Amino acid sequence: MKSLKRRKFTDRAAYWAITFGGAATVFVVLALFLFIFLEVYPLLKGAKVSKENTYSLQGKAVAIGVDEHQGVAYAVYQDGKVEFVSLSDGKVFKNYTITGLNGSAITSVDRDNNLLALGTSDGKVLTVSIKFSESFENEKRTILPEISEEEPTLVGDEGKGIAFIAARRDDSATVTVACTKDGRLILKSTETKSTLFGAEERKETRKDITSLTTQHSLNQFPSQLQEETATTGNQAPLPSERTDTREGILAANSSTNQENKAEITSLALDHFMENLYAGTSAGEIFHINVKDRENPFLAEKILVSDKAVTALGFLLGDVSLVVGDYGGGVNVWMQVRDEASPSGWVLKKVHTLKSHHAPVAAVASSLRDKGFVTAASDGSIHLNHATSEQTLLNLEIKSIPAALAFSPKANGILVMDSNGNLRQWDISNPHPEATLKTLFGKIWYEGYEKPEFVWQSTGGTDDFEPKLSLVPLIFGTIKGTIYAMLIAVPIGILAALYTSQFLHSSLKIIKPVIEVMAALPSVILGFLAGLWLAPLMERIFPALVVMPFFIVLAIAAAFYIWKSIPARIKGGYRHGTETLFLIPFIIGAVYASVQLSGVFETVFFGGDYRQWLFDILGLKYDQRNAIVVGFAMGFAVIPLIFTISEDAISNVPNSLVSASLALGATPWQTAVRVVLPAASPGIFSAVMIGFGRAVGETMIVLMATGNTPIMDWNLFNGFRALAANIAVEIPEAPFGGTLYRVLFLAALLLFITTFTINTLAEMVRQRMRRRYSKL
Amino acid sequence: MKKLFKTGNPYIWLTAGTLTISLLMICGLIALILINGFGIFWPHKLVRFTLRDGAVVLGEIAKKESIPHKKDAYRTKLKVGNRDVFGMDFRWIDDADIVSHELPHDALAFERREWGNMYGSLKGWKQGDDIKPVSPAEMTAMLKESWGLFKKIRSVEKKEIGNINYRMEKNRLELKRLSTLPPTTGIQKKIATVNARMDVLKKAYREKEDILTGLHQKAREKEVVALLADGSEKTIPVFQIVRLYAPNTMGSFAKIGFYVAKFWEFVSDEPREANTEGGIFPAIFGTVMMVLIMSIAVVPLGVLTAVYLREYASDSSIARLVRISVSNLAGVPSIVFGIFGLGFFIYFLGGGIDKLFFSEALPTPTFGTGGILWASLTLALLTVPVVVVATEEGLSSVPMSIREGAYALGATKFETLWKVVLPQAVPGILTGAILAIARAAGEVAPLMITGVVKLAPSLPLDQHFPFIHLERKFMHLGFHIYDVGFQSPNVEAAIPMVYATTLVLLFTVLVLNLTAIVVRTKLKKWYSTASL
Repeated sequence: MKSLKRRKFTDRAAYWAITFGGAATVFVVLALFLFIFLEVYPLLKGAKVSKENTYSLQGKAVAIGVDEHQGVAYAVYQDGKVEFVSLSDGKVFKNYTITGLNGSAITSVDRDNNLLALGTSDGKVLTVSIKFSESFENEKRTILPEISEEEPTLVGDEGKGIAFIAARRDDSATVTVACTKDGRLILKSTETKSTLFGAEERKETRKDITSLTTQHSLNQFPSQLQEETATTGNQAPLPSERTDTREGILAANSSTNQENKAEITSLALDHFMENLYAGTSAGEIFHINVKDRENPFLAEKILVSDKAVTALGFLLGDVSLVVGDYGGGVNVWMQVRDEASPSGWVLKKVHTLKSHHAPVAAVASSLRDKGFVTAASDGSIHLNHATSEQTLLNLEIKSIPAALAFSPKANGILVMDSNGNLRQWDISNPHPEATLKTLFGKIWYEGYEKPEFVWQSTGGTDDFEPKLSLVPLIFGTIKGTIYAMLIAVPIGILAALYTSQFLHSSLKIIKPVIEVMAALPSVILGFLAGLWLAPLMERIFPALVVMPFFIVLAIAAAFYIWKSIPARIKGGYRHGTETLFLIPFIIGAVYASVQLSGVFETVFFGGDYRQWLFDILGLKYDQRNAIVVGFAMGFAVIPLIFTISEDAISNVPNSLVSASLALGATPWQTAVRVVLPAASPGIFSAVMIGFGRAVGETMIVLMATGNTPIMDWNLFNGFRALAANIAVEIPEAPFGGTLYRVLFLAALLLFITTFTINTLAEMVRQRMRRRYSKL
Repeated sequence: MKKLFKTGNPYIWLTAGTLTISLLMICGLIALILINGFGIFWPHKLVRFTLRDGAVVLGEIAKKESIPHKKDAYRTKLKVGNRDVFGMDFRWIDDADIVSHELPHDALAFERREWGNMYGSLKGWKQGDDIKPVSPAEMTAMLKESWGLFKKIRSVEKKEIGNINYRMEKNRLELKRLSTLPPTTGIQKKIATVNARMDVLKKAYREKEDILTGLHQKAREKEVVALLADGSEKTIPVFQIVRLYAPNTMGSFAKIGFYVAKFWEFVSDEPREANTEGGIFPAIFGTVMMVLIMSIAVVPLGVLTAVYLREYASDSSIARLVRISVSNLAGVPSIVFGIFGLGFFIYFLGGGIDKLFFSEALPTPTFGTGGILWASLTLALLTVPVVVVATEEGLSSVPMSIREGAYALGATKFETLWKVVLPQAVPGILTGAILAIARAAGEVAPLMITGVVKLAPSLPLDQHFPFIHLERKFMHLGFHIYDVGFQSPNVEAAIPMVYATTLVLLFTVLVLNLTAIVVRTKLKKWYSTASL
């Protein structure tokens, strides 16, 4: 015999253990919510600086750069000196002097990955390649820079400096565009072609294309901008006398300039070597097509700002053009299809970023995403993201920035001021492309004609712009749910009403049969919907249209036949067996409509319903469409709605029914006017729970639709729902990445939706239970 | 007419119609699966059509339908097989093009290990450049021999080489772990022993590989020549033939025998040809093991919650919170559980376990990737409400008087619960467990992202210590349906397999649910008499 003390202790311990166990369910729900929320939370956080370093170097840098691990930075100085700095200790460990300069100075730079095209003060262009290799020793990484230079080539005129340069190259061609100090624009290209016999043919062209930027035949000023220009009257804010560096332009006072002729103030050439953009002091951009090197032509001239264009740069992929102006404005422009223009394309402003308070001096783009850094002459530096139109970081240096670099992994920003101080920030910017606006708003993506809701999380190329709008998915979820509910709610509730009020007691076995069907795995329904129902429906669609009428007719016919059968034949089963009696009639109706499908198609749809749908309603018929999903998901939801509403209807106190019948109401009147209203909260909760099930249904939607994330109410289209989208994309989403977190956000939305619905339904049910316990 | 509608009878008939529609939909669905699922193993007759253009085709009739937009015109879908020769399994033939059709007696169906079925007749046995006629008895013997060979190859591949691979992997990880430790003499000695073991294993591996090469060589030796419908000849190694039968000459008993053999192969064998042929044994095994592990996790949690709600909850606001949590857990979409399982179990817990205990295998994850344990736990969360509701029902049907009797005899609350109430509620708990298993067996979406794969190289249970491998990926019936039906390269040829798998799954789920209903009814009856 155990001691009393011990028994008491066991009893207390069990009490706590069980209470804890009971509360565990609450913990599970909380954990579910919290964990999913914690996975989503980092999306909401912006970028931050994790480390900041300053290094003192000497000289006037024209370009700086850094390796991908941010271990070594380099600075190219005006006089051709190159210094490599270790970012861990700030020591210059390697020097190099560009020999090709021959005493001239570097006056302009363009960067093309690891190539630097340098324009010199004597009209030449010199290409320098700076690469980094790494070696491991004792688990420690050593980064070795390699620098090499090519022979300088004369692009401008001997002795006349190059003010701006834009150069790109690929395996077979090099295109260099230079703007000389006296305002001439020169295009030089070298192309190597392999001829049929394996010999290489080298073709060089050099063309003065200045005239393209002076002709004004293709005026396409947006009227609004034109007005603004007229009122401000400040068209050419740049100094008439060119200073040696860009910094000089930026620092100059705009009022000194009275000359009206627009001068080129920036250049950008894309890597397709096709589109050259030249910004001018009048705030215009000349878009010159240089695809045909012999005959470049002006594709478009457009006013982009009322102030001088001071910086141009491409975003990753060379489609979007970042335009920085003298007033500090930062905008992203790109070519958009427009039938009205002769070339079919027009440069349009698609994103506006936060302005600087001083002229924009430099743009550096990320090699990872559509992010970029802009620096203004007052030392303010912004980290921007184009797609989401947000400025993630505002940094500052005290003096005028001379050169700017964005680390290859987009995790560091370097800037060098005119005094030779190099500043470096380590930044953490994990999810720039996800903001409330990109997730739920219309965004103007690259290659689109207007802002749109698009879900396209991955693409084939590295420069792909992720499109993460959840709106098409939410739309798809709602679409599927609505079609399913349209089928399930009437059938479920009416069948439940009949079962509880009119069905003969010997047929109550039907109820568990339907209940068991609630346990039918949705993968089976999805499979049948996708591989059996969808092709079948495509074949007999006209039959489906007339089927409801046929079924109603069949029920009416059955009703009359039943009435005309003498009572003695019907025997004891008078009421409550209609449902069995109807079976052959409904089968007959379905069979007849399927058999007559071809006839209906000829009569109603002119022989081909798909053609008819397309001609008359403009709708395209997809095999796996919303009707198929509606049927399959309706099938899954019917047992749920049926069971819960049947319970609710059966729980209506019998006294109410008896009272109604005693007052002379017919059974139907009693059912509709007394029982249904009394059970309405329960039926409401049944519909809510069915709704929750349809919202979260994954497999049916996955298998029975084409999973195309389009937004279209068309019955004959597919769609993509939130739940199916998670199932499709989460296996490919890298852990902790933006897509991964956005999918968790989709799950969170589903969770919150169903949580609200279920809590509401549960509360309604509890209230109803209390109400009837009083009756 | 107006009077008629006033009685409401037409409306009642309408509501009756909705119930009938629901019933018909359910019965139709089950009938569809039964017919398609059971039908596929029956040997179909091989039909030879001579077409108007002189071509001859041989195959099984898969479907006949009317041609849309043409009156009284029909077409036949013929399974012509020979995918490697014709490039497709099925062919549509307009009935108008058929000149003659017959059921040739010599038509044979070759069920092959690769490329699906082949239809044709047997020309003979190839010996050098000659083709020698072959008798049925000889052919049977040859097939038997090749079957033995196949089993031998599989046993060498799976068991012996698999075993060596397993041990080599263990040693490799051991070596990796040792190399991270400071190189003392003891450690170096250990490394030497492991290396020695490795060498022995490598040698054994090479030996087995030689044996395997020999067996494969042998498998290619004997070849037969088949005559196809279009008159061309096809040489095929006997080893490639799984089964050879002549459906046109089979009697009823032979057909039944064939059917049983095929069905047995289906439930007991491994899949072939990207899951479109062969059996589904690994999927059945994976499903069963997964639901068993899940039950171990879900039953205690569900029972505790139910006991708390029924027997202990005094504070009604907490009880209501628990109730709302339970009903919410029942309503949360399964994919949300799946993504929670992925984030929490796999990346958080699994990643943690890997760092602590399996760091030598990193960056290859051991527990930090989908596996049977994580899938089971995810489904355990999903099915908690099912167990709670059923257990509550079981507890509430235990009469109060029994509890009061126990209290009167001086038992504490826990003693009453443990010794009196719970034993009586066992059928309720059992019902809950069965329903949870039924639910889990049919669930696919959360499994897809927590560890189910289309083809698992090894079962999660084998002869290697610790025998149960909770970290392994597994196959599952429901996912098998999705994968074969929607992801396989040759969906059309795979549909019969999908139907058969669907049948197995439907059967499992329905039997489990019916068992639960029976248990519940029995329980009710038992207590209605016990409480008298």
